[in-house]
Amino acid sequence: MNHYELLLTHIGIVLQMQYFLPLLIGVIAGVIGGALPGVTITMTVIVVLPFTFGLDPLQGLAAMIGVYVGGSAGGSITASLIGIPGTPSAVATTFDGFPMTKKGEAGRSVWVGVWSALIGGALGGIVLIELTGPFASLALQFGPWEFFSLFIFALTMVAGLVGKSVTKGLLSGAIGLVVTIVGPDPIMGVQRFTLGIHQLDGGFPFLPVLIGIFAFAQLMPDVETIHPGEHAPKAAGNIGLRVSHASVLWDIFCRPFMLLWVTFIGIVIGVLPAIGGSAANIMAYDQAKKFSKRPEKFGTGIPEGIVASEASNSANVAGSLMMIMAFGIPGDAVTAVMMGALTLHGIQPGPLFISQHPKIAYGIYAAYLVALPLMVAVIWVGSRAWLRVITMPKSILIPIVLVLCVIGAYALSNSMNGVYVLALFCIIGYAMVKARIPLAPLILGVVLGDQIEDNLIQSIATNADPWLFVTRPISGGLLAASVLSIAFAVWQHRRENQKMAMAAEEEMDTDF
Amino acid sequence: MLSRDGISGLVCLAISLWLLVLTWGLPPAVMVPIGPAFYPRIVLSILAILSVILLALDLRAAAQRRATGTTAIAAPVQPAPNYPLVLKTFIAFGLYIALLPELGFRIGTVLFVAALQVTLEWPRSTRRWALVAIVALATTLVCFYVFEDYLSVLLPRGRWSGM
Repeated sequence: MNHYELLLTHIGIVLQMQYFLPLLIGVIAGVIGGALPGVTITMTVIVVLPFTFGLDPLQGLAAMIGVYVGGSAGGSITASLIGIPGTPSAVATTFDGFPMTKKGEAGRSVWVGVWSALIGGALGGIVLIELTGPFASLALQFGPWEFFSLFIFALTMVAGLVGKSVTKGLLSGAIGLVVTIVGPDPIMGVQRFTLGIHQLDGGFPFLPVLIGIFAFAQLMPDVETIHPGEHAPKAAGNIGLRVSHASVLWDIFCRPFMLLWVTFIGIVIGVLPAIGGSAANIMAYDQAKKFSKRPEKFGTGIPEGIVASEASNSANVAGSLMMIMAFGIPGDAVTAVMMGALTLHGIQPGPLFISQHPKIAYGIYAAYLVALPLMVAVIWVGSRAWLRVITMPKSILIPIVLVLCVIGAYALSNSMNGVYVLALFCIIGYAMVKARIPLAPLILGVVLGDQIEDNLIQSIATNADPWLFVTRPISGGLLAASVLSIAFAVWQHRRENQKMAMAAEEEMDTDF
Repeated sequence: MLSRDGISGLVCLAISLWLLVLTWGLPPAVMVPIGPAFYPRIVLSILAILSVILLALDLRAAAQRRATGTTAIAAPVQPAPNYPLVLKTFIAFGLYIALLPELGFRIGTVLFVAALQVTLEWPRSTRRWALVAIVALATTLVCFYVFEDYLSVLLPRGRWSGM
């Protein structure tokens, strides 16, 4: 069967009830989780994770892709209706979505976002389906030197781009690598740093680490803001969401070049490791504003702002999936969880993934394509119900999320070991939030740590000459790119600090 | 006076140095050019260097502040974080995990979900108390039956309670 026949066959498979049901549940969970302010898509996928343990790999992945796609669009609902982004990836949607709602066009505001997510996601899907294979073929040319350098590049780039301090970003990545050196070494199986604790003989299990880091890091800042007598903002129950869908689609398609450009930005940001939709929507909004003929109107409730944010945000999902399937590098925390779930089933994402597991690979394409219209249908049918759900008090939500985190950590090995690891990393995650150390590099460090060590050892065992890392063209290029990415990040941060200092001085001058 | 960056740097430096010392207890390589300590030493050295840089940057920033007579940049006025509530949440979660093997999933979860709801927002009416109880019971029962009956995940049984 050729590429497209395989794709059509797998769309048929995903439409069978055993795969369609997890996908539908995932989309619903994603829309709700994405719409709930304070609950990110990562948190939602972590909550859904334990439910996938008893399923076959494609069923589990279908559920997680449903969450990913549904969550990306769900965040725009609250962003448009109450001006609070459900997820960080919908921040830019509030800039024009909420003003549009305030002008009495709530339906237009929500549906421009939803249809843009569908179209951006579909365009991203085409890229995902067409380019993942060639990317994987390219990755097959890589030896251990190139993979080592690629992982280092991914880590340094993320460390440089996230957060406000390059040093803290790199420190976070290094902490992630330290987490992976606990347990047996890959050559002789010698136990390292287990301190005689037998539960650590296998090292720290990846998923409890990830769940722990994100659980308290995301929930505790919400707990900090709970004060007696305060209530969450209510979604207005009387808002009318009726709208002419033809005019909404015209709002989106009347600027085709902008649509393509912001979608491209979303895909590229998705491909870049661990940056994700939170950066994609802001960058796309900024670009749409720069290229617009009426930039002064941005922020007043115009459709271009919503289209830019939501189309890029949705296309970002496809970029992240492409990266994990072709290179085995997660594009963001959600795909990091997916990667963990795949390895639980003995499947290692990477260059051989498509050829060794075509059913899963084409199943991912198919689930992604089916999830997009499903997301529109779920929002269409249940918009009123989701509005009620998103006003659920945090005092109810937080205990439920924590219970599901414990189940997720426990169910991995049916033992309390995972739960204790979860508890340890809950503390570490919250401490890092309070120290303002970004979490994304740590997660990438934990995901890539073992592979970095394996490839380093393999390359040195093949040829002990360390200069090969620099003299092999691709490897050398990637290492040079790593150095450049750090240098660029340092320069960028210094420039920002100088600008801030100058602004502060000017402010002081005007005060006097 | 160190700020949070300096303290983070110190903590990471202490951990990296301690683990670096432990690498000398690892056996040397026999058949291969590199042994079990090779990669950890690289990673821990990088962590130590980054910790020192963070610490040095913090000390320099503190010295600059002293020299110019300014304090750290004031953050915009926001309500003070409710740290006592964070601490109570940590304690509730810690107790839940500690008692889970003794009480079992069903009893432990009912108590945890109810206790944490009450901790986070004190119910001021009978209706709210009823809601607390319903949420605690529903969460426990739905999780238990979905995971045990449909997803073949065995949840913890209690040593004390037997259930």
